[in-house]
Amino acid sequence: MGIFYQTIKGDYLQRSRSYAFLITLAITIYAAYHFVPAPDENYTTLIITGYKGVYNSAWAGHISVLMTTTILALFGFFLVNGAIKKDIDTEVGLIVAASPISNMRYLLIKFVSNLLILLTISALAIIVAMLVFLIKKSGYPFLIKDFLLPYIFTIIPAMTVVAGFAILGEVFLRGKGILQGILYFFIFTTLITINMGSTSSSAITDIFGINEIISSITNQIDTQFHERIKDIALGYTITETASYKTFVWNGVSWSFDYLTSRAVWIGMILISVCISSFSFHRFDFKTLKIRRLPIFSAPAKTNYSKIEKIALPAIIPAYGILPLIKIELLLMIRKDPKILNILSFALWVSLLFVPLTTAHVILLPVLFFLQVNKLSDLATKEKAYRLHYLTYAAYKPLQRVLSAQILAAFSLLIALAFPVILRLIISSSYLNIIQVVNGTLLIAILSISIGIISDGKKLFEVFFFLLTYCVLKRISAVDYLGGIPHPDYLGKMLSIFIINISLLVACVMFRARQVNNL
Amino acid sequence: MELEIKNLTKQYNKGKIGLADFSVSIGKGILGLLGPNGAGKSTLLKIIASISKPTGGTIFVNGENIIKNPNAIRKILGYLPQDFGVYPNLNAYEFLTYMAALKGIGGHGLKKRIEILLDGVNLTADAKRPIGSYSGGMKQRVGIAQALLNDPKVLIFDEPTVGLDPEERVRFRQLISEMANNAIVILSSHIVSDIETIADEVAIMKNGMLIDKGSPAAITKKMEGKVFETSIPHAELDGFRSKHLVTDMSKQPDHINLRYISDTSHGNANIKGVNPGLEDAYLYLTQKQY
Repeated sequence: MGIFYQTIKGDYLQRSRSYAFLITLAITIYAAYHFVPAPDENYTTLIITGYKGVYNSAWAGHISVLMTTTILALFGFFLVNGAIKKDIDTEVGLIVAASPISNMRYLLIKFVSNLLILLTISALAIIVAMLVFLIKKSGYPFLIKDFLLPYIFTIIPAMTVVAGFAILGEVFLRGKGILQGILYFFIFTTLITINMGSTSSSAITDIFGINEIISSITNQIDTQFHERIKDIALGYTITETASYKTFVWNGVSWSFDYLTSRAVWIGMILISVCISSFSFHRFDFKTLKIRRLPIFSAPAKTNYSKIEKIALPAIIPAYGILPLIKIELLLMIRKDPKILNILSFALWVSLLFVPLTTAHVILLPVLFFLQVNKLSDLATKEKAYRLHYLTYAAYKPLQRVLSAQILAAFSLLIALAFPVILRLIISSSYLNIIQVVNGTLLIAILSISIGIISDGKKLFEVFFFLLTYCVLKRISAVDYLGGIPHPDYLGKMLSIFIINISLLVACVMFRARQVNNL
Repeated sequence: MELEIKNLTKQYNKGKIGLADFSVSIGKGILGLLGPNGAGKSTLLKIIASISKPTGGTIFVNGENIIKNPNAIRKILGYLPQDFGVYPNLNAYEFLTYMAALKGIGGHGLKKRIEILLDGVNLTADAKRPIGSYSGGMKQRVGIAQALLNDPKVLIFDEPTVGLDPEERVRFRQLISEMANNAIVILSSHIVSDIETIADEVAIMKNGMLIDKGSPAAITKKMEGKVFETSIPHAELDGFRSKHLVTDMSKQPDHINLRYISDTSHGNANIKGVNPGLEDAYLYLTQKQY
C-alpha cells in the first residue's frame, strides 16, 4: 500500500507541477467566480424560463456543483486523457514495463492520479464558490453542508467516471487520441441530452448525477407555482433580471436510489479499469510501429567514405524562411493518419457546395478543429522530440523559426478556409472575409502561444475544443470566424485583432526567454 | 580563429553553481573536455552554443561578443547536443534539409552537400527511410552529419560517441580529425580514450571550474612517478582503497592486480611504477580536493 500511495503521489505531483495545470487552476478560479450569479446580476447559469432560486447557501452550493460537474465531465476528460501517452513519450513506460508492477496496479495508479487531478480542480471551484457566497452577503446563512454534500455525492462519483473513461480510452484506443475525444464527446452529449431535466430517467442512467439536483429544483418550482417545467439548460445566458419569479430551494434530499446508483457507477468503472488491464499493451508497440514505419533491417557494413572537404559544394547563405515553412507544413501533414487527412479533404470540398452559412458557421470550425493534432504541438514538438537544442541554436530562432511556425499554421488554415473565403468574395461579404482571416490568424497564434506558455500541447487542445463547442452552440461572442451575427461585429473583430497582437507579443517574449535559458 | 572565454559564471536558482569564473582561450584544433557528472561541461557547451545565457562573463569569437550577439556564432556553429532527438516522420535527407534551413544555408549545392555527408556517415542506403525506424547509433550519425552541414568554424560535440559501436567510434574520430583542420572543435566525453586519441588539448573541469588544461602529453607528464601497479589478496582490497586512488583492477583467483595513484613511492618489491595515462591524470585531478 505504501508503494501504491507513493507512486500515485509521484504521478500526481509530476502532473500538477506544470504550467498547464496552473493555468487550468487560474481559469477554474475565474469560471467558478461566475458560476452562481447574485440576484442583481444580469446573467444566469441554470436556465429555467421565468424562474430563479434565491441566492441562499443551498442554491449557491448546488449550482456551483452542477456547473463544475458539467464542465469538468466534458473538459476534464481532455485534461487528464494522455496520462499513459505521457509515459510512452517520455519512455518512462519502458522502465514501468521492466518493473514488477502489474498492469492492473499501473492502470489503477493512473486512474487515481486522473481522479486526484479532477478532484483538485473541482475542490478549488467549490472553495471559490464558498468564498464568493460569503463575500456577496446574500443575507442567508452559510451552511457548509450545502457545498460539501453535493461535492461528495455528485462531483466525486462523476469525476471517478471521467477518470475511468480516460483510462479506458487510452487502453482500448491507444494512439487514437482524436477518436477517443470524438467518442467521449458523443457519449457525453448523448447522456447529458437524455438526462437533463428528464423525469422519466432513473438514477442509474444519470451517469454524472446532475439530474438529481435539476429534478429537485424543478419539483420545487412545479409544486410551488403549479408548473410543469420541461425546458432546462445549463450555461451562461444574459437575462432581464426583472422578469424572474424567485423561489426558496433548500437543496437535495439525497435518495437511497441515487446513492446506490453512484456506488454502482464507481464500482463499474473500477471493474472496467481492472478488466482493461488484460488488454493493456505494457509499452510493447512492435506491431503498432511496424504498421506505421518500414521494418528496420540493419544495413550491411560498408566502408565509410571519407568526407573530402574540398569535394563539398560551397556554402551559400540562405536566410529566407520558406524552406522552414515547407518543412513545418510537411511535418503537420504527416502528423495525422491518412484517414483524417482524407476526412479533412472531404470537408474542404463540401465547403464549396453546402449553403454558405452552414459552411462558415459549422463546417469550417469543425474542419479547423480536425487539425488540432497538427496545430497543438507546433511550438512544443522541438522539446517533445529533444530537438530544441538545435532549433534554439539556429540562426535567428525567433525571427525565422518562430515566424515559420506561425506562418505554416496560418497557411494551412487559410488553405482550408479558402472555399469559404472564395464564396464570401463572390457574395461581396468583405467584412466576413476579414474576420475569417482574423480568426484563422487567432487559431494559428493561439496554438503557438498556448504551447509556448504552457510548455505543452494539452491546454491548447482542451481550449480549442471548448472554443469549437461554443461556436457550434452558436455563441456569437466566441465565434472567431465571424459567421454568426453579432450586435457589435466590428468591435468583436477589433477585439480579436488586439488579442492576436497581444498573444503574438507574449509568445515572442516567452520564446525569447526559452531560447536563452536551456 | 579564436574563442576567448573570460570569467564565465552560471548560477542557477537556489544558488546552484553551474560554472564558476571560468576562463579559457581556445584556438583551432580539438579541445577535449573532461569532467565528472555535474562538472559543468554541458553548461559550458550550451553557453558557447548560445542556447543558455551566463550569469556573468563574456565569450568572444574572433573579437565578437557572442553573449551580446548570439547570431554571430550561430552562423558558424555546428552543434551536437548530448540529449539529441530527431523528428521521426522525416527521413535523413529531409531532416538535413530542415537543419540546413535552420542554419541559413541553401542553394544548388545543398543537395550534393547532404549526399556527401550522408555518405560520410554511412547512411546513404537508409537516407529515404523515416528516422523513427533508425537505431540509436544511426540517429547519432544523423546528428553528426547535421553538425557538419554548414562547414562550421566552431564545432561542439557533447558526448558524441554515445550509442556508436566501436567501428563507428573509430570512424567518428577520423572524421573529426579531418574536419578539425580549419575549425575550433570542442569535444566533451566521459570516454577518456576518445579524447586522448584525437584531442590537441585537454581541459579538465570539476564543480564548474577549470582545474587543468594542456596537451594530453603535458597533463599526463605531471603524473610521472605517481602511478603504480601491485597485487594484493582479496581481503585487503577495502583497506587499500581507503588509502589509495585505485584506477584499475583485475581480479584473479587468489589475488587482485591493481593500478593506483599515490603521491609517494613505497619502495616495496611488490610495487612497480608504470607509465601514466590520461585516464590516471583525469581521475587524480578530479578526485583531488580543491
